[in-house]
Amino acid sequence: MTDTMVTPGDTLARSGLYRKIADAEFLSTPESAIAASYSADDSEQARNCGLCDLTPVIRTGWRGKTAAEHLQSLGYPVPENPNQALTKDSGETLVRLSRTEFWVLGSLQDMGTAVTEAARQPSPGSDCYPLFCQDSHAWLMLSGDHCAGVMAKLCGVDMRAQSFPPGSVAQTSVARINAIVVHHQVAGTDVFSLLFDAGYHAYLWDVLQDAMAEFSGAPVGVRAFGI
Amino acid sequence: MKILNCPLNGPRNISEFVYGGEVKQMPDPASCTDREWAEYVFYHNNGTGVVREWWLHAPSGYWFIAERHRVSDEVVRTYDPSELEQSEFFAAPPADVQEARQ
Repeated sequence: MTDTMVTPGDTLARSGLYRKIADAEFLSTPESAIAASYSADDSEQARNCGLCDLTPVIRTGWRGKTAAEHLQSLGYPVPENPNQALTKDSGETLVRLSRTEFWVLGSLQDMGTAVTEAARQPSPGSDCYPLFCQDSHAWLMLSGDHCAGVMAKLCGVDMRAQSFPPGSVAQTSVARINAIVVHHQVAGTDVFSLLFDAGYHAYLWDVLQDAMAEFSGAPVGVRAFGI
Repeated sequence: MKILNCPLNGPRNISEFVYGGEVKQMPDPASCTDREWAEYVFYHNNGTGVVREWWLHAPSGYWFIAERHRVSDEVVRTYDPSELEQSEFFAAPPADVQEARQ
């Protein structure tokens, strides 16, 4: 990541939300621009109840019977069972969606550059092939103490800490659209990453902000997570 | 709301699932008669009792099998399709067709 401020209109790729979040300051990423901050108290907001658009961060996936071994050979920690996630020291999160399907969410430290490098490595000959979720899926991240409270208003799965601890993954319906919810940590803060069809990007952004209003939630930029 | 237990994702609202029809053995398409193929594609059992059905958990794209009682609508059991033998899904072609293929 280059630490320079940009306007999303100047980049080749843009988050589908860039007009809605035009009041933010943006940082450049390898392929796009990401909201860096909205106000001076973003960090405190993120600890209470924040919503961050991470769609420009690189993510990709692999599927196949040998995908787990391939990812291990690339240095990723592979969860033992489906619907679990593990975060690497460098910040990438490996999500196991089924016995044979894996997604890797890029780190905010490098905006996913390491994932791009991993995706360039040749796949083993058979039964392991890449899945592309960068352009098909949007990525929003809920953070703070009220994540479970916000999700309780939108989905039928119990996401309180005792039944949905860090490392849990739920593939479920959120505000009537299909979504993958990953509970992990970014810079020591508990977050829920939501990955869903990119066509619903603006819809879910508005729905989540509406649900967060009860908890004084607001959009936050990646600077809130020490970037 | 009704709850269905997905073998991969656990108990979920029924609105997350899509019905996929009865589990039927597919006849060998290259050697079966038109009548057999029509029965497989178009005709369905309209009986009572426990039946095996395909269900899809839409958010994860996961197909599984549910055993459901058609009178009480009670779901007796749900499980991954790998628990069944391949022969439950695909009929072996007749011996003479197998020989001709070898």
